[in-house]
Amino acid sequence: MSEKHKITKDPITGAETTGHVWDDTLQEFNNPLPTWWLWAFYATIIFSIVYWILYPSWPTGFTEKGYTTGIKTVTFKSDSGEEVTTHWNTRALLAHEMQNDPNELKRKEMVKTVAATPLADVIKDPQKSAFVLAYGKGIFGDYCAACHQAGGQGVRGSYPNLVDDAWLWGGDPADIETSIRKGRHGNMPAHAGTLSDEEITEASNYVLSLSGEKVNAELAAKGKEIFNTKGCSGCHTPAATGMKALGSANLTDKIWTQAHVPEAKSVDDKIKAVNTVIKNGIKREMPAWESRLTNDEIKVLVAYIKLLSSN
Amino acid sequence: MAHSTAAGSVEQYNYDIVKKFAIMALFWGIAGMTAGTYIASELAWPFLNFDIAQITFGRLRPLHTSGVIFGFGGNALFATSYYIVQRTCQTRLWGSGLANFTFWGWNAAVAIAGVGYLMGITQGREYAEPEWYVDLLITAVWVVYFLIYTMTLLKRNQPHIYVANWFFMSFILAVALLHIFNNLAVPVSFFGVKSYSLFSGAQDAMTQWWYGHNAVGFFLTAAFLGMMYYFVPKQAGRPVYSYRLSIIHFWALSFMYMWVGTHHLHWTAIPDWTSSLAAAFSIMLLMPSWGGMINGIMTLSGAWDKLRSDPIMMFLITSLSFYGMSTFEGPMMSLKSVNALSHYTDWTVGHVHSGALGWVAMVTFGSLYHMIPKLWNTTIYSVKLIYVHFFLATIGILLYITALWVSGIGQGLMLRAFDEYGNLAYSFIETVVFMHGPLVARAVAGMFFVTGILVMTYNIWMTIAKRESRPAVATSTAAA
Repeated sequence: MSEKHKITKDPITGAETTGHVWDDTLQEFNNPLPTWWLWAFYATIIFSIVYWILYPSWPTGFTEKGYTTGIKTVTFKSDSGEEVTTHWNTRALLAHEMQNDPNELKRKEMVKTVAATPLADVIKDPQKSAFVLAYGKGIFGDYCAACHQAGGQGVRGSYPNLVDDAWLWGGDPADIETSIRKGRHGNMPAHAGTLSDEEITEASNYVLSLSGEKVNAELAAKGKEIFNTKGCSGCHTPAATGMKALGSANLTDKIWTQAHVPEAKSVDDKIKAVNTVIKNGIKREMPAWESRLTNDEIKVLVAYIKLLSSN
Repeated sequence: MAHSTAAGSVEQYNYDIVKKFAIMALFWGIAGMTAGTYIASELAWPFLNFDIAQITFGRLRPLHTSGVIFGFGGNALFATSYYIVQRTCQTRLWGSGLANFTFWGWNAAVAIAGVGYLMGITQGREYAEPEWYVDLLITAVWVVYFLIYTMTLLKRNQPHIYVANWFFMSFILAVALLHIFNNLAVPVSFFGVKSYSLFSGAQDAMTQWWYGHNAVGFFLTAAFLGMMYYFVPKQAGRPVYSYRLSIIHFWALSFMYMWVGTHHLHWTAIPDWTSSLAAAFSIMLLMPSWGGMINGIMTLSGAWDKLRSDPIMMFLITSLSFYGMSTFEGPMMSLKSVNALSHYTDWTVGHVHSGALGWVAMVTFGSLYHMIPKLWNTTIYSVKLIYVHFFLATIGILLYITALWVSGIGQGLMLRAFDEYGNLAYSFIETVVFMHGPLVARAVAGMFFVTGILVMTYNIWMTIAKRESRPAVATSTAAA
């Protein structure tokens, strides 16, 4: 290390080294800080100081709040309706924007109009129904689409289709509103214990015949007997058209929400699909939204669903 | 130089430990990046979950992050820091048995933690997922690492401590502090894996992000700057641009980073003053970060031609460019108004990867290409394959960042778009549908990057396997 502190001048750039050498070749130039770098650094410091003067920033422990509040203010209306001016903070900012943002004001105005109009008129009015379709899409997308799918077409075997004409629990606006508010508990009991396999197959033949499927007429006739005497008609009614108070399905409308009948290739497969439903029963649940959605949101949602199913 | 001795200098340095860490860096690099590409593919094509809990996104994601940060990055840092401290202090590494303990301990910790994630064992703290028993092992390894590094510095045969070592020391000290405080937890039982954090609520979140951002600041930045400060001037054959800049930006960087973690929690239930304090320090962090980039890139002045002729130099300088870009993007994203758009979108993920792939991985690749042939006293098997790797990696990164800018900024704009009635125009699921294209591009970008490291591994494998048995020459290049 005899050569330590030997400052040399670089032949290419003319810069001087510090004179330190490591690992045979490692050296450093003693170049000054780049001027633009230094001024940019100062600029960021000035920016920060301005930022700290404007916004809450330093915990002091001495001031009333325990931190410097900054000189920037936000004005909003409190719950009691008085105008409050406070130092900048995110809660006040949110309140301010929810009270003053032009988009939010426009939306609120529309919601107010829709809330004050009878549902049937909302659906007929082009501007109001266009608003319902736009606003309802967001509510439906956030709360309903996870099960009923974005288009409302549902998932066979799990979640009802909302865009066809079949309604398990009734399709009047009042029925739909009850479904949303209170939720629904669908419960078809399992019949594996009460009916034999043959009886189940016969019942399947019968209910499929109601939808016009070409099944074995003899089995279907036996199935009709079972349907009427072994408990099916109690919920599905003797005419097999279902009861909206129980959510029991109409078995005559060719719409199958649980059994994979439309996709089945042969009659045998269709019978098998219905057999499974009769054997195992059905338990499904739609949650109640009353406590999570506002009255206005529920109204818009009902109108939205009516519009979806009428399209 | 006075210390250039002829034969026998192979024993001068402990290269054995450096070799082990370097090989494991490649191993974890392949494992971690493959896991990353797989989960990126799961996001693009969700069927790849196959309904197997162990390989779902939530389980594989920490395996990916720990694999690349602590497996790949950690092993690369141990390797290069042990290499650099020996060569710049002109002394053998202190405590070779203890150095072996850091090797086995560190890699066991990463492996145990990784297997645990697949089984669902996690603290749920980002980049600090390992449970208490792994945390204890890491603490032991880290204390020994600190001891080895300090003792080696103390017995140096050089009057001055080279700048790279300042950065490594800052990294070792800060990570010790961060790791211990963020992982203060009470195990439920001595034989159970679960523990609960000592902190709760907003304090827990702030402790976690004080850790989380400084893991970026000291693990992924300061330490890799240490790597850069050795390998860039070595590979360029030029002195470091400015000693003065290195001092100023070192202290500014070390000081500023500690304050900024809360910018990860903007617009959440934390006191407003913590948010603006962190945002301002993030802005002030820009120039100290750029100091490292300037010092690295300007070191090449007088040797710019190497950017055309030397693929290792291309790796190093490209890494510095990505470093500069992501350290500009970071402060910008930590402004509250920008953050309101960017947070919780893929923009954040893209930003992290422009740092992780562009800076951390590229500077590591360049450094390993320089160091590994020297460790085995040979030359690289194929320079052409380094070019191939460079282009695969660069295309991968550019595609990755661009795809996630589109996905993230696009989603951010969609989530705050209004229709003519003042409604929010899009439901969340519609933004996800929009993201599908960019997410496919991102998965493809990951495949480019993984292919790159596979090419590198082949090249390194052949370098070691086909090395000529040459007589031992001085490890220092003997410029007498």
